Amino acid sequence: MIHLIDELKIIPGVIGASIVSSQDGLKVTNLPTIFKPERLTTIGKHLFKLSSVGRMSFDDLTDISLHYDESVMLARELEKGMLLFVICDPTFNHNLLSMSFNLLQEEFNLGNYSTPGEEDSPIEGDVTSSQTQPDMQVDDALQELFDELKSSLGIILGPMASFVFDEVVEDWTSQGSVDPSRLGELLGQLDQEISDQDKIDKYRQLISPALETFLKG
Amino acid sequence: MATATDFIGRINQIEGVAGCLLINSDGAVLGQAVDDPEVYAALMKISSDLSRDIMTNIGFSYCRHLSFHRRNMENFYVFPIDKYLLGIVQQADCSVKFMLERVDQLLSKVSTGGSGKGS
Repeated sequence: MIHLIDELKIIPGVIGASIVSSQDGLKVTNLPTIFKPERLTTIGKHLFKLSSVGRMSFDDLTDISLHYDESVMLARELEKGMLLFVICDPTFNHNLLSMSFNLLQEEFNLGNYSTPGEEDSPIEGDVTSSQTQPDMQVDDALQELFDELKSSLGIILGPMASFVFDEVVEDWTSQGSVDPSRLGELLGQLDQEISDQDKIDKYRQLISPALETFLKG
Repeated sequence: MATATDFIGRINQIEGVAGCLLINSDGAVLGQAVDDPEVYAALMKISSDLSRDIMTNIGFSYCRHLSFHRRNMENFYVFPIDKYLLGIVQQADCSVKFMLERVDQLLSKVSTGGSGKGS
Protein backbone atom coordinates (compact mmCIF):
# COMPACT_ATOMS: atom_id res chain seq x y z
CA MET A 1 0.00 0.00 0.00
CA ILE A 2 2.95 2.27 0.69
CA HIS A 3 3.88 2.03 -3.01
CA LEU A 4 0.54 3.53 -3.96
CA ILE A 5 0.82 6.59 -1.77
CA ASP A 6 4.51 7.05 -2.53
CA GLU A 7 3.55 7.62 -6.14
CA LEU A 8 1.21 10.40 -5.02
CA LYS A 9 3.97 12.09 -3.07
CA ILE A 10 5.93 12.62 -6.28
CA ILE A 11 3.25 15.01 -7.56
CA PRO A 12 4.32 18.65 -7.13
CA GLY A 13 2.67 20.25 -4.11
CA VAL A 14 1.76 16.99 -2.41
CA ILE A 15 3.13 16.88 1.14
CA GLY A 16 2.07 13.31 1.76
CA ALA A 17 -0.81 10.88 1.92
CA SER A 18 -2.44 8.43 4.28
CA ILE A 19 -4.83 5.52 4.00
CA VAL A 20 -7.12 4.91 6.94
CA SER A 21 -9.52 2.10 7.68
CA SER A 22 -12.74 2.78 9.53
CA GLN A 23 -12.09 -0.39 11.57
CA ASP A 24 -8.33 -0.36 12.14
CA GLY A 25 -7.47 3.34 11.94
CA LEU A 26 -4.31 4.41 10.15
CA LYS A 27 -3.08 1.77 7.70
CA VAL A 28 -0.21 3.60 6.07
CA THR A 29 1.17 7.10 5.73
CA ASN A 30 4.07 8.92 4.17
CA LEU A 31 3.27 12.30 5.71
CA PRO A 32 6.06 14.01 7.66
CA THR A 33 6.37 12.76 11.24
CA ILE A 34 4.97 16.02 12.54
CA PHE A 35 1.59 14.50 11.66
CA LYS A 36 1.17 12.02 14.54
CA PRO A 37 -0.55 8.69 13.75
CA GLU A 38 -3.23 9.26 16.40
CA ARG A 39 -4.14 12.60 14.84
CA LEU A 40 -4.21 11.13 11.37
CA THR A 41 -6.57 8.43 12.61
CA THR A 42 -8.84 11.08 14.14
CA ILE A 43 -8.75 13.13 10.96
CA GLY A 44 -9.54 9.97 9.00
CA LYS A 45 -12.61 9.39 11.15
CA HIS A 46 -13.83 12.92 10.50
CA LEU A 47 -13.23 12.47 6.79
CA PHE A 48 -15.20 9.21 6.83
CA LYS A 49 -18.11 11.13 8.35
CA LEU A 50 -17.74 13.89 5.76
CA SER A 51 -17.72 11.32 3.00
CA SER A 52 -20.80 9.59 4.44
CA VAL A 53 -22.77 12.80 4.79
CA GLY A 54 -21.68 13.83 1.29
CA ARG A 55 -22.87 10.55 -0.21
CA MET A 56 -26.25 10.99 1.47
CA SER A 57 -26.72 14.12 -0.62
CA PHE A 58 -24.79 13.11 -3.75
CA ASP A 59 -24.78 9.49 -4.80
CA ASP A 60 -22.12 10.25 -7.43
CA LEU A 61 -19.69 11.79 -4.94
CA THR A 62 -16.06 11.15 -5.85
CA ASP A 63 -13.77 13.30 -3.71
CA ILE A 64 -13.95 15.85 -0.93
CA SER A 65 -11.51 18.71 -0.65
CA LEU A 66 -10.98 21.02 2.30
CA HIS A 67 -9.19 24.25 1.51
CA TYR A 68 -7.48 25.70 4.55
CA ASP A 69 -5.23 28.74 4.61
CA GLU A 70 -2.08 26.65 4.97
CA SER A 71 -2.93 23.49 3.07
CA VAL A 72 -5.53 21.59 1.15
CA MET A 73 -6.80 18.13 2.05
CA LEU A 74 -8.23 15.90 -0.64
CA ALA A 75 -9.99 12.69 0.36
CA ARG A 76 -11.54 9.73 -1.43
CA GLU A 77 -13.14 6.57 -0.14
CA LEU A 78 -11.36 3.82 -2.08
CA GLU A 79 -13.89 1.24 -0.94
CA LYS A 80 -16.30 1.01 1.93
CA GLY A 81 -14.30 1.49 5.11
CA MET A 82 -11.03 2.45 3.37
CA LEU A 83 -10.23 6.11 2.82
CA LEU A 84 -7.30 7.84 1.17
CA PHE A 85 -6.40 11.42 1.95
CA VAL A 86 -3.65 13.72 0.79
CA ILE A 87 -2.34 16.95 2.25
CA CYS A 88 -1.01 19.44 -0.29
CA ASP A 89 0.19 22.98 -0.69
CA PRO A 90 -2.61 25.34 -1.75
CA THR A 91 -0.94 25.66 -5.16
CA PHE A 92 -1.36 21.95 -6.01
CA ASN A 93 -2.67 20.88 -9.39
CA HIS A 94 -6.15 19.54 -8.66
CA ASN A 95 -6.68 17.92 -12.05
CA LEU A 96 -3.38 16.07 -11.88
CA LEU A 97 -4.06 14.83 -8.38
CA SER A 98 -7.59 13.74 -9.29
CA MET A 99 -6.23 11.75 -12.21
CA SER A 100 -3.66 10.16 -9.92
CA PHE A 101 -6.44 9.30 -7.50
CA ASN A 102 -8.25 7.55 -10.35
CA LEU A 103 -5.15 5.56 -11.25
CA LEU A 104 -4.54 4.66 -7.63
CA GLN A 105 -8.17 3.66 -7.26
CA GLU A 106 -7.77 1.36 -10.27
CA GLU A 107 -4.69 -0.26 -8.77
CA PHE A 108 -6.43 -0.58 -5.45
CA ASN A 109 -9.44 -2.23 -7.07
CA LEU A 110 -7.11 -4.67 -8.81
CA GLY A 111 -5.58 -5.54 -5.45
CA ASN A 112 -2.28 -4.20 -6.74
CA TYR A 113 -0.87 -3.20 -3.38
CA SER A 114 0.81 -4.62 -0.34
CA THR A 115 0.38 -3.92 3.33
CA PRO A 116 3.29 -2.56 5.37
CA GLY A 117 5.92 -5.22 5.97
CA GLU A 118 5.23 -7.00 2.70
CA GLU A 119 7.06 -4.53 0.50
CA ASP A 120 10.09 -6.74 0.00
CA SER A 121 8.18 -9.79 -1.04
CA PRO A 122 6.34 -10.25 -4.33
CA ILE A 123 2.96 -8.61 -4.05
CA GLU A 124 -0.03 -10.88 -4.22
CA GLY A 125 -2.23 -9.83 -7.08
CA ASP A 126 0.39 -7.42 -8.38
CA VAL A 127 -0.01 -6.80 -12.08
CA THR A 128 3.65 -7.47 -12.79
CA SER A 129 3.62 -10.67 -10.82
CA SER A 130 0.42 -11.98 -12.29
CA GLN A 131 1.42 -11.07 -15.81
CA THR A 132 4.95 -12.33 -15.66
CA GLN A 133 5.11 -15.24 -13.29
CA PRO A 134 3.07 -17.93 -15.06
CA ASP A 135 5.11 -18.13 -18.26
CA MET A 136 8.20 -16.22 -17.24
CA GLN A 137 9.12 -18.14 -14.12
CA VAL A 138 10.72 -15.04 -12.68
CA ASP A 139 12.96 -16.04 -9.82
CA ASP A 140 13.03 -14.13 -6.56
CA ALA A 141 16.15 -12.16 -7.42
CA LEU A 142 14.77 -11.01 -10.77
CA GLN A 143 11.43 -10.16 -9.22
CA GLU A 144 13.25 -8.07 -6.62
CA LEU A 145 15.10 -6.29 -9.40
CA PHE A 146 11.81 -5.64 -11.23
CA ASP A 147 10.39 -4.13 -8.05
CA GLU A 148 13.39 -1.83 -7.79
CA LEU A 149 13.18 -0.86 -11.46
CA LYS A 150 9.49 -0.12 -11.12
CA SER A 151 9.92 1.87 -7.93
CA SER A 152 12.71 3.99 -9.46
CA LEU A 153 10.62 4.55 -12.57
CA GLY A 154 7.99 6.05 -10.28
CA ILE A 155 10.46 8.76 -9.32
CA ILE A 156 11.00 9.58 -13.00
CA LEU A 157 7.53 9.20 -14.48
CA GLY A 158 5.23 9.67 -11.50
CA PRO A 159 1.92 7.88 -11.10
CA MET A 160 1.91 6.40 -14.60
CA ALA A 161 5.16 4.53 -13.95
CA SER A 162 3.54 1.39 -12.64
CA PHE A 163 1.39 0.97 -15.75
CA VAL A 164 4.24 1.80 -18.12
CA PHE A 165 6.56 -0.66 -16.42
CA ASP A 166 4.02 -3.50 -16.49
CA GLU A 167 3.38 -2.92 -20.19
CA VAL A 168 7.07 -2.88 -21.01
CA VAL A 169 7.71 -6.06 -19.04
CA GLU A 170 4.78 -7.72 -20.78
CA ASP A 171 6.21 -6.78 -24.19
CA TRP A 172 9.67 -7.87 -23.14
CA THR A 173 8.51 -11.29 -21.99
CA SER A 174 6.52 -11.83 -25.15
CA GLN A 175 9.63 -11.17 -27.23
CA GLY A 176 11.84 -13.89 -25.80
CA SER A 177 12.99 -15.88 -22.84
CA VAL A 178 13.20 -14.43 -19.38
CA ASP A 179 16.93 -14.28 -19.15
CA PRO A 180 19.17 -11.79 -17.37
CA SER A 181 21.16 -11.56 -20.60
CA ARG A 182 18.13 -9.78 -22.11
CA LEU A 183 17.98 -7.13 -19.40
CA GLY A 184 19.64 -4.66 -21.78
CA GLU A 185 16.64 -4.97 -24.10
CA LEU A 186 14.28 -4.31 -21.22
CA LEU A 187 16.18 -1.21 -20.16
CA GLY A 188 16.23 -0.02 -23.77
CA GLN A 189 12.46 -0.32 -23.94
CA LEU A 190 12.12 1.59 -20.69
CA ASP A 191 14.40 4.31 -22.09
CA GLN A 192 12.05 4.65 -25.06
CA GLU A 193 9.11 5.12 -22.72
CA ILE A 194 10.94 7.76 -20.68
CA SER A 195 12.00 9.47 -23.95
CA ASP A 196 13.97 12.28 -22.30
CA GLN A 197 17.73 11.93 -22.14
CA ASP A 198 18.14 13.76 -18.83
CA LYS A 199 15.49 11.59 -17.24
CA ILE A 200 16.97 8.46 -18.79
CA ASP A 201 20.36 9.35 -17.27
CA LYS A 202 18.78 9.97 -13.90
CA TYR A 203 16.88 6.69 -14.11
CA ARG A 204 20.04 4.79 -14.95
CA GLN A 205 21.73 6.35 -11.93
CA LEU A 206 18.85 5.38 -9.69
CA ILE A 207 18.77 1.75 -10.81
CA SER A 208 22.50 1.19 -11.03
CA PRO A 209 22.96 -0.07 -7.42
CA ALA A 210 20.10 -2.57 -7.83
CA LEU A 211 21.48 -3.76 -11.17
CA GLU A 212 24.95 -4.21 -9.71
CA THR A 213 23.59 -6.21 -6.79
CA PHE A 214 21.56 -8.39 -9.13
CA LEU A 215 24.42 -9.02 -11.56
CA LYS A 216 26.79 -9.91 -8.73
CA GLY A 217 24.22 -12.51 -7.72
CA MET B 1 -33.34 39.30 5.23
CA ALA B 2 -33.43 41.57 2.20
CA THR B 3 -29.64 41.87 2.43
CA ALA B 4 -29.27 38.10 2.42
CA THR B 5 -31.50 37.92 -0.63
CA ASP B 6 -29.42 40.58 -2.39
CA PHE B 7 -26.25 38.75 -1.50
CA ILE B 8 -27.58 35.47 -2.86
CA GLY B 9 -28.65 37.30 -6.02
CA ARG B 10 -25.12 38.65 -6.51
CA ILE B 11 -23.50 35.26 -5.95
CA ASN B 12 -25.97 33.60 -8.29
CA GLN B 13 -25.00 35.95 -11.10
CA ILE B 14 -21.39 34.77 -11.11
CA GLU B 15 -20.54 32.77 -14.20
CA GLY B 16 -20.39 29.09 -13.33
CA VAL B 17 -22.79 29.25 -10.38
CA ALA B 18 -25.86 27.08 -10.91
CA GLY B 19 -27.44 27.89 -7.56
CA CYS B 20 -26.63 29.00 -4.03
CA LEU B 21 -27.97 29.43 -0.54
CA LEU B 22 -27.02 31.15 2.69
CA ILE B 23 -27.64 29.64 6.11
CA ASN B 24 -26.90 30.75 9.65
CA SER B 25 -25.02 28.86 12.34
CA ASP B 26 -28.19 26.99 13.34
CA GLY B 27 -28.65 25.69 9.81
CA ALA B 28 -31.63 27.95 9.09
CA VAL B 29 -31.91 29.06 5.47
CA LEU B 30 -31.64 32.86 5.13
CA GLY B 31 -31.71 33.06 1.36
CA GLN B 32 -31.69 30.62 -1.49
CA ALA B 33 -31.53 30.25 -5.23
CA VAL B 34 -31.53 26.47 -5.39
CA ASP B 35 -33.97 23.55 -5.20
CA ASP B 36 -34.19 21.55 -1.96
CA PRO B 37 -32.41 24.13 0.20
CA GLU B 38 -33.10 22.18 3.41
CA VAL B 39 -31.13 19.19 2.14
CA TYR B 40 -28.18 21.39 1.27
CA ALA B 41 -28.48 23.27 4.57
CA ALA B 42 -28.12 20.07 6.62
CA LEU B 43 -25.09 19.02 4.58
CA MET B 44 -23.51 22.46 4.98
CA LYS B 45 -24.01 22.57 8.72
CA ILE B 46 -22.63 19.08 9.40
CA SER B 47 -19.73 19.35 6.97
CA SER B 48 -18.73 22.76 8.28
CA ASP B 49 -18.60 21.40 11.84
CA LEU B 50 -16.49 18.45 10.69
CA SER B 51 -14.08 20.63 8.73
CA ARG B 52 -13.63 22.79 11.81
CA ASP B 53 -12.89 19.69 13.91
CA ILE B 54 -10.27 18.62 11.37
CA MET B 55 -8.80 22.11 11.35
CA THR B 56 -8.46 22.08 15.15
CA ASN B 57 -6.97 18.60 15.15
CA ILE B 58 -4.32 19.26 12.58
CA GLY B 59 -3.56 22.82 13.66
CA PHE B 60 -4.67 24.75 10.60
CA SER B 61 -5.96 28.27 11.08
CA TYR B 62 -8.83 28.95 8.71
CA CYS B 63 -11.05 27.02 6.32
CA ARG B 64 -11.62 28.94 3.10
CA HIS B 65 -14.05 26.46 1.66
CA LEU B 66 -14.76 22.78 1.27
CA SER B 67 -15.91 21.03 -1.86
CA PHE B 68 -17.87 17.93 -2.70
CA HIS B 69 -16.70 16.70 -6.08
CA ARG B 70 -19.20 14.81 -8.15
CA ARG B 71 -18.95 12.59 -11.19
CA ASN B 72 -21.48 14.79 -13.02
CA MET B 73 -19.19 17.77 -12.30
CA GLU B 74 -21.94 19.72 -10.54
CA ASN B 75 -19.69 20.14 -7.52
CA PHE B 76 -20.96 21.66 -4.31
CA TYR B 77 -18.97 24.20 -2.30
CA VAL B 78 -19.37 25.45 1.26
CA PHE B 79 -17.85 28.79 2.24
CA PRO B 80 -17.77 29.78 5.92
CA ILE B 81 -18.43 33.53 6.35
CA ASP B 82 -18.22 34.35 10.03
CA LYS B 83 -21.39 32.91 11.57
CA TYR B 84 -22.90 32.07 8.20
CA LEU B 85 -22.35 29.46 5.55
CA LEU B 86 -22.66 30.01 1.83
CA GLY B 87 -23.39 26.98 -0.33
CA ILE B 88 -22.79 27.03 -4.07
CA VAL B 89 -23.79 24.51 -6.72
CA GLN B 90 -21.39 24.66 -9.66
CA GLN B 91 -22.45 24.42 -13.28
CA ALA B 92 -21.07 21.27 -14.88
CA ASP B 93 -19.29 22.98 -17.75
CA CYS B 94 -17.59 26.04 -16.35
CA SER B 95 -14.18 27.34 -15.41
CA VAL B 96 -14.00 26.35 -11.75
CA LYS B 97 -10.93 28.51 -11.17
CA PHE B 98 -12.66 31.58 -12.57
CA MET B 99 -15.82 30.94 -10.61
CA LEU B 100 -13.97 30.45 -7.31
CA GLU B 101 -11.93 33.60 -7.91
CA ARG B 102 -15.08 35.63 -8.46
CA VAL B 103 -16.72 34.18 -5.38
CA ASP B 104 -13.60 34.91 -3.30
CA GLN B 105 -13.54 38.47 -4.62
CA LEU B 106 -17.14 39.01 -3.65
CA LEU B 107 -16.70 37.42 -0.24
CA SER B 108 -13.64 39.55 0.51
CA LYS B 109 -15.69 42.64 -0.23
CA VAL B 110 -18.45 41.42 2.05
CA SER B 111 -16.01 40.57 4.81
CA THR B 112 -14.13 43.84 4.63
CA GLY B 113 -17.30 45.90 4.29
CA GLY B 114 -17.72 45.79 8.05
CA SER B 115 -21.49 46.08 7.96
CA GLY B 116 -22.78 42.65 8.47
CA LYS B 117 -20.85 40.04 6.42
CA GLY B 118 -23.65 38.64 4.39
CA SER B 119 -26.32 38.99 7.01
